[in-house]
Amino acid sequence: MGRISWCPGCGNFAILKAFEKASRRVIEEGYDVAVSSGIGCHGKISDYLNLPSFHVIHGRVPPFLTGLKLANPNLIVVGFSGDGDGLNEGVEHLVHAARRNTDIAIILHNNGVFGLTTGQVTATSPKGRKSRSTPYGNPEYPINACQLMLASGATFVARVFAGEQKKMAEVFYRAMKHRGFSFVEVLQPCVSFNNFWDLRKEVFWVEKAESVHEAMRKCEDVRACGIFYAEEKETYEDAVWRSMF
Amino acid sequence: MGRGKKEMMNVCIAGAAGDGVRGGGVILGKIFSELGYSVFVYQEYQSRIRGGYNASVVRASEREIDSHAYYYDALICLQDYVFERHVDRLRGLLICDSSFSLDHDRKVEFPISETVKKLNLPDVSRNIAAISVFCKLFGVDIEVLEKVIRESFGERGERNIEAVKAVYEDLNVSIGQMQRVGERKELVSGAKAIAEGMLNAGLKFYYAYPMTPASPILHILAADSRCIALQPENEIAAIMMVIGSAFGGERAAVGTSGGGFALMSESISLAGMAEIPVLIILAQRSGPSTGMATFTAQQDLYFALNPAHGEFPLIVASPLTIEDSYKLAGDLLNLAWEFQTPAILLTEKHMTESYTTAKLGGVVKKEVEIFREKCSEVFERYKITESGISPYASPPALVKANSNEHDEYGFATDDAEIATKMYAKRMRKEKEIAKVVENLEPFVEMKNGKDWIVTWGSNFGAVKEVAEELGFSVAAVRFMRPLFLPKISGEMFCVECNYAGLLAKLLEAEGLEVKRILRWDGRPFTPEEIRREIERWAE
Repeated sequence: MGRISWCPGCGNFAILKAFEKASRRVIEEGYDVAVSSGIGCHGKISDYLNLPSFHVIHGRVPPFLTGLKLANPNLIVVGFSGDGDGLNEGVEHLVHAARRNTDIAIILHNNGVFGLTTGQVTATSPKGRKSRSTPYGNPEYPINACQLMLASGATFVARVFAGEQKKMAEVFYRAMKHRGFSFVEVLQPCVSFNNFWDLRKEVFWVEKAESVHEAMRKCEDVRACGIFYAEEKETYEDAVWRSMF
Repeated sequence: MGRGKKEMMNVCIAGAAGDGVRGGGVILGKIFSELGYSVFVYQEYQSRIRGGYNASVVRASEREIDSHAYYYDALICLQDYVFERHVDRLRGLLICDSSFSLDHDRKVEFPISETVKKLNLPDVSRNIAAISVFCKLFGVDIEVLEKVIRESFGERGERNIEAVKAVYEDLNVSIGQMQRVGERKELVSGAKAIAEGMLNAGLKFYYAYPMTPASPILHILAADSRCIALQPENEIAAIMMVIGSAFGGERAAVGTSGGGFALMSESISLAGMAEIPVLIILAQRSGPSTGMATFTAQQDLYFALNPAHGEFPLIVASPLTIEDSYKLAGDLLNLAWEFQTPAILLTEKHMTESYTTAKLGGVVKKEVEIFREKCSEVFERYKITESGISPYASPPALVKANSNEHDEYGFATDDAEIATKMYAKRMRKEKEIAKVVENLEPFVEMKNGKDWIVTWGSNFGAVKEVAEELGFSVAAVRFMRPLFLPKISGEMFCVECNYAGLLAKLLEAEGLEVKRILRWDGRPFTPEEIRREIERWAE
C-alpha cells in the first residue's frame, strides 16, 4: 500500500487502524467492501487501505458512492470525508444522501481545520478562531455535524473520539453493517494546526436515544460520543429497485 | 418559395402555454406519418406554464425532410392574439374559432370552443377539435385520427374522439384530399432517439437534474424499464453518480444544458484522470447564463471542446439529424468505454425537442472486458501500454482509482518520471481515438457544385435542402474532437446559431475564407431563411 505521509501523532492513524479492524471483521463475515475518500489529509486513507478504492474530488464522496452502490448492490461501501470536504465543499451531498437513506456509510474526520492547505477555518471551527484566513478571528458560527445529519434523516448517527480506538472500531463496524445511511463523526486532533488531544479527558459516552429529538439534544455538546440514533427504514436502493421490478 | 413537386404541407398550430399546442403538433405529426409522409415538427414555446405564445410547426413531405419551413400553408390559431405573430408567414389557410374576428382572406372558422364545451370536455381539448377541422378540410380519413388519438392518449383518448366526430359531422367544407402515400412511419423526438441510442449501446444508469432542453431524455428513460434513471440533488451529484456506476462496471450517462454542464466541469476532469468512461449529453440552449431557456443555440462548441482543467483525451460529436442523434449517442457510449474517457454528445434544443419520422436501429453494445474477481494483489489498472488503453477492473477486484496523478496501480504519486509516463499514456489514447473516429464518418459531404455550405448540428436539415436547390455542396461536421475537416475550396458559407461563427473560426484557422450566416435569436434556421441570407451575400 502507499507510504503514509500524515504528520506523526495525527489522529488519522487511529482512524486507519480502527477501520482496518472493523473492515476485516465485515470481510470475514463474507462481505465485500469498497471505499472512497475526498480531498484533504483524510483523503489519503484510500491509498493506505488494502481495499478497492477511489480517491475522488473535494466534497463529492456521497454521490460517487451512491452510483457505485447502485451498480453493485452487493458491496458495502464506505466513504471518508473531512469537515472541509463534507461540511464546506460538499455539504449538499451529505444532506441529500442522508435524506434518501442511501445505503452508504460516511466517516467524517473532523479536525476543525483545513490541514492540508495549512490551517484555514472550516465549517466546524469555533467562532473567533484565528487562522491564516481569519487573522482577526473567525466571524462564523460552527455547524454541529451530527445534528445536521439527524435533521436530514440519517438513520445511523454516531460520534467518536480518535483517541478511543477500540470504541471507534466497534462503531465503524456497526455503521458498515447498518442498512441505510450511516454517519460517524470522528473528533480527530490535527497535531500541526488544531491539536486537541487533551479532549481525551473531557469526552463522555452517552447511550442511544429513542427519538431523533432526543438524539439532537444528546449530540449538542460536541464532547458527547456514542451512537446517538439508529433506526431501520427503507433504503434508497431498495425503493429504486422496488419501483423498477 | 422553392417548393419541389412533392412538397406537401407546412402547418403551424399557435396558441398559449396550456392550450396543448406542443401535444397538438405531435398529434398532427403522427397523423401525417401514419399516412406515410416524412414529417418534421418544430416546437417553439416559452418558459412559462400558462399564457404567452407557443407554436408548433408541422411539416409533411413525400421526400425525406429534416427541417420545418418558414412559410405556412395553414395556420391553426387557438387564441386570437397569437395571429399577429404569425400572419406574415401565412401563405394559405387560417383555421380558427368562430368567435375570433381575425382578418384574413382565406379562412375557415368553426365553433371550436363551443363544440368542446357542449361535450363537457376540458378546454385543452380545443387542440384536438382544431386539428380535426384541419383534417376534415384536407380529407383525412376519420379512422386515421381515431387511431392516432387512441395510440397517443389511451383511455383518455375516447373523450377526445367525441370531439373529432362532432367536427367531422358538423363541418362540410372540403379543400383537399390527403391520401396515404406510403407505409406508416414512426415519429420520434430527438430526446427519444438519444435515449434509444444509449440503451442499445448498453446504458444501465442515467442521472440528470432537470434542465431544458435535456429533461425529455430523463423523462423517457425514467419510464423505461431497460435502465434506471434518477434525479439527484444537482448536476455535480449526477456526474459523480455516473462515475460511481462506471467504476462499478456499469454503463451510465448524464444529460444537461450549458449551466449544468458548467457544474460538471471538475468531475469531467476527474473522469479524464481516473480513466472512467462517462457519456455527457449537452443539449445547448440560448445563453449566456439563463439566456432564453426554451430556445435553441450553438454557442457552446468551444466549451464542449475544452470543458475542464488539465489535458486529457476527450471525444466530442454533434449529430446532424434526429436519426443521427440515435447513432451518435450509441457510438459515443461505446467509444467512451473502449477508450475509458469522457465523451460529449453536443446537441441542441432544436434536436432534442423536435420530432421527425425516423427509423432507429443499428446501434449495438461493443463489449469491453472488465475484471471483476476478488484478488489479493492490487490490479494493474493503469498499466503503461503502447495504445494508452489499460485493462479495466471493478470492485470487488482490488482496484484503486485516483484523482491524483498515480502509478500503474492507482496509488497517488508526484514522482516526475512516473508522472511523465502516466500523463503520456493517457494522452496516447487520443491517437487511437482518431484512428477509430476517422472511420465513423467524422463529417458528411454532399457534392452538388463547386461552392460549399458548411455547417454542424441541426442546421443540416435546412442547409441540405437549400444546397440541393441552389447547387451548393454541403460539408457537415459531426465529430468535433478529434476534428476532421473536409477538404473544400471555392466560395464557402458557414451556417451556425451563434454570434462569432465558432465552426467558421476553426475553418479559418485552416486558412479557409468563410462567409458567415449566423443567428443568435434562439430560433432555428429554415431553408427559406438560409436561402435569403445566401442571396443577400450575392447582392
